[in-house]
This record gives sequence, structure tokens and C-alpha cells, in this order.
Amino acid sequence: MTQARTAVSTVSSPHSLTSSGPAISTQQLRKVYRGRAVVQGLTLNVGPGEVFGFLGPNGAGKSTTIKMLLGLVMPTSGTVSVLGGSPQDPAVRRQLGFLPEQFRFQTWMTAQEFLNFHGRLAGVKQGELRARIPQVLEQVGLGGRGGETLNGYSKGMLQRAGLAQAILARPRLVFLDEPTSALDPIGRVEVREIIAGLKREGVAVFLNSHLLSEVEQVCDHVAFVKAGEVLRQGSMANLLGGEVPVEVRVNLLTPELLSDLGKLGEVEALPEDQGRPGVQVRLTRDTDLPLIARAVSANGLNLYALTPHRPDLEGLFLELIDTSGDQK
Amino acid sequence: MRNVLLIAELSLREALRKRLVLILLILTALFVGFYLYGILRLQQTLDARALDAGLDYDPSRGRRGLTGASVAFSAIFGMYLVYFLGSLMSVLSTVGAVSGDIENGVMQSIISRPVSRAQLVLGRWLGFSVVNVVYVSLLSAALLVGVRVITGFTPPQPVLAALLVLLAVLLLTSLTVLGSALFTTLSNGIGVFVLYGLGFTGGILSTIGQLAATPVLVTLGNVANVVMPSNALWLGASYHLQPEYVLRLNELARGANPFISTMPISAGTVLWAAAYALLVLGLAVLAFRRRDL
Repeated sequence: MTQARTAVSTVSSPHSLTSSGPAISTQQLRKVYRGRAVVQGLTLNVGPGEVFGFLGPNGAGKSTTIKMLLGLVMPTSGTVSVLGGSPQDPAVRRQLGFLPEQFRFQTWMTAQEFLNFHGRLAGVKQGELRARIPQVLEQVGLGGRGGETLNGYSKGMLQRAGLAQAILARPRLVFLDEPTSALDPIGRVEVREIIAGLKREGVAVFLNSHLLSEVEQVCDHVAFVKAGEVLRQGSMANLLGGEVPVEVRVNLLTPELLSDLGKLGEVEALPEDQGRPGVQVRLTRDTDLPLIARAVSANGLNLYALTPHRPDLEGLFLELIDTSGDQK
Repeated sequence: MRNVLLIAELSLREALRKRLVLILLILTALFVGFYLYGILRLQQTLDARALDAGLDYDPSRGRRGLTGASVAFSAIFGMYLVYFLGSLMSVLSTVGAVSGDIENGVMQSIISRPVSRAQLVLGRWLGFSVVNVVYVSLLSAALLVGVRVITGFTPPQPVLAALLVLLAVLLLTSLTVLGSALFTTLSNGIGVFVLYGLGFTGGILSTIGQLAATPVLVTLGNVANVVMPSNALWLGASYHLQPEYVLRLNELARGANPFISTMPISAGTVLWAAAYALLVLGLAVLAFRRRDL
């Protein structure tokens, strides 16, 4: 254990927190609890102003990783750099926002008192807080409710209050651990808008969520983790790009049509559906989609269905987790 | 320092808002009122007996002898209850100072702010120390002033005695903060009470050792006093609460009362208790520095 601890290193350059360097950089990050590795060899890079999705099944080590990135949990080995410095450095922490998965706060406080306390902890001046608190309360949908004590808040309202404290001090990097777990659909849309707003302002967001459709809508990059290891990471375009299988249903499949479609991509026959023959065309670019309709029309045939089956994050997630599951 | 004060302020506001202080003040008023009523009845009984005996007695001039001793004992045992309640308060109010916030998840959002773990521990200690010290000071003053108003009795050195009790309170607060930084709230509460009990046991062993002239028991008592000097501090306080004639009375009994000492506390013990409080506070800071949250 002692040896492992000596292997931990954090970058500590409090006065060189550059805005151009990576928001987060880890090398071979590892955490062992009672002989069991919860996170092992995690290497991540999150660019400045990037919205980064951190995905994985339950027990994958996602929350432990977030806690190491925030300095709440000490790594057993490996290196961590957050905003160019150590997460233990107050100068770094001043620029971070965090909404924990278990959003438990001092429920004897009013929302205003709670935000005022966190603002003061973050070093925000009282004058600025007076203007900023109503602003963030409005932003998270709690406008006019700041005078109420948190113990009267619903679970969803508490999560909104937590989100308000995470963005209160105008951070450069925000960690959101399951930020919509207690929210209704309207709340989820609002959180997506807040994340989009943060991105526009150049704030990096590290998002841990099980709601893959949400992640797909807001993230630039994602990493899939399982059993503390990164299975795959990359930009959304790279991960979900590539071939687009397109289902084509027509009144008749002629050799000429099949030949024309074959020039666009690999063609595979599909069973008839309600008496209509069909094929699947694997397009290399989804911009070629109109060319299929044009080919059907050029052959004087009727087009009944043209359905692109784009790969989504959920499919990729299941594929990765299932495939790796056999090896673990 | 700004963050330490901010966390201390949080602790104070928490104590006020959770009505800890209010409940404490109400219960304390009931305790002081109940105890002083008992002393009032004692005083009335002693006056009636003096009249029955045909003595022309003026209570404002104070009592001497056995009747004076019973009034002095009522003040001393009242202060023992203050010491006991103060100790109880020190442990119960502080038992979850750090661990409670870890267990309910509040700590994560605080520690991710630019506040060091040392500042958090020191702030929590400062906040609860202020609550405990103010509480014990007010309780001591209420009891001793009440006794004086009813009986005319004032202990020889009440301030010195109260200061020793306050040192015990600070020591227990520091120990509880250390336990809170290391263990769960429940384990911490049990652990500190066991230590408190060890100090008391040490006092009893010393008393028996002196009575039975058995040096090994006195040595065991001294070891217990080093491990947990809170009881030694109380015994030191009790010395300063006894007028000369009560001290002589207790000396005649060869110190048979384990709640009272006829010897002043040594400067070494006081210094050790103060150093101990600072040492465990330092250990609390160190222990919390590497604790995973």
C-alpha cells in the first residue's frame, strides 16, 4: 500500500492553470480498496470546453473516478491533472463545480443560504453573490423558491439546487454525476440546455449518466468503462460514424436497381414485409441517402420505405459491455 | 483562516437552526432550577434547625462546620453535575462533526470547494468548542450564582475551578473530533465514552489505593489519568471549590470520596491535558487528510 501510494502523482502548478491545456488528463489511474481494484489503469483526456460523457454499467468505477478527479478519494497509483494542476490545489478547486450523485445538502438551510455558503467557500464576493444567486436559481428552474428551506424541497428540486451550486461560481470545469436522475422530462430538457449553455461559454463538462440518449445529444466525446478500465473512447462522430445501414422497400426488386444500389454500398436482401420486397444498403456516408431514392425513381419503381438505421450510443454501449463481459 | 471561520460559523448556525441550543437551554434551565430548588429546601431546613436550637443565626454571614459543609458540598456536587453535563454535551454535540457529514453525503460538496481538509476539521472543532465552552460557562455561572443567592456560599476559587472544567470540555471535544475524523459516528461515540469512563475508573482506583495503602492501584489510577486526564481535571477543579474547613474534613476522611480531591492538580497534569487536546486535534487533521470520502 505504501509503495502504491508513493506511485501517485498529481500535477501541482497552481499558478500555471492554462486555459488551452486539457481540462482533465489522467495516466494509468488506479484505485484499490481492500485488495480489489475498483479503477485500474485509467487513462483519459478531456479537452478544454469539451462535454465528455463517462459511461459504464453499475460498479464500473465511474463515481470513484470522479471522486479521484475532485480530490475526494486518493488514487492508489497513477497521475491526475485537472485544469493543469492537482485537484488538491485550492486554486484548481476554485474553478471546479460538482453535482454529486447523492445530492445531500444541509437541509436546514434555505436555498439562498446554501448557495451563499458555497459561494463564500468558493471565494465569490458577497456583492457578486447577491446578483448571481437569483440568476442561477432562475437558470435551474427554482426562481422565487430561494427563501424556502431545503428540507421542504422535493428530490427533483434538491437536484436542481445541487446543479445551481455546481455552476454558481462560474467554474471552468463542471462534474455532473447523474444530474437528471431525479428530474422529470422537462427538468431533463432544462439540464441539457444548461449543459449546452456551459459549452457555449467554453466550460468543460464531465458527465456521468446512464441516460444514453441524453449523453448522445450533448456530448462531444465519450468513454466507455467497465470494471475500472476504459473499453473505448473517442469523439461521437468517430464512435457513431462509419457505415449507415439503410432499409429500402420497393414494389419490385429489379437487377438494374440492385446494380445501381450496389454502386452506393454493400447490398443485402431482406425478407418481404407486407408483400413488399426489400434490401439493406450499407452506405459509407449518410449524405448518400438521397441517391437511393433517386435510383429507385430512375428505375421507374415505387419507393415505400427508406429507413436509415444509424448506430446509437445505446447499441454501442450494449455491444461493448456484452463483448467485454465474456473476457472479464 | 477565513475558511476555518466560515466552517465554524456553519457549525454554530447548524447548532442554532437545528434547535440544539434551544433544547439545551430549556433542559439546562430545568436542571439548574431543579437543583437550586433542592438547595433552597436544604437552606430552609438548616435555618429551621438553627432556630429550633435557639441559635441567633444570620445566613448572610455564611455557615461553618457541618452545616456549612453541607452547603459547600451541594455547590461542589452541583459543579460535578456541570462537569458531567459538559462532558456529555462535548461528546454528543461533536460526535458526528466530521463523520456525520461523510455519512450523509454533505461532505462531498464541501470538500470539492477550495477548502482544505485541515481547515474543515479546525473549523468544525472551533464551532463546537465555542458552543460547548459557552454552554459550560453559562451553566457554571448560573449554578454558582444561584447557590450564592440562596445560601451566601461562594467557593474560594470558582473561576480557576471553572477553567479546569472547561479544559476538560475542550479535551473531550478534541478527542471526539479526532474520533469523528477516523471512525463512524456510532463507533466514535462509544469510543470516547469508554475513554471518559477510563478516566473516571482511574480516579476510583486511586481513591481505593490511597484508602487501602495499595500503591499499585494508585499507579493504575495515574496511568488512567495520563491516558484520559478529564477526571483528574475535575478533581483539580473540586479542590478549588472547597473552603479550608471542608478540605480539613475531607482530609480526615483520608480522601474517601472519589468525586473530590484534597490535593491541587499538578501543573504537569494541566499542561499535559492542554497538550493532549492540541495533539489529538493535530492528529484529527492528519487523519482526515488521507481519508477517502
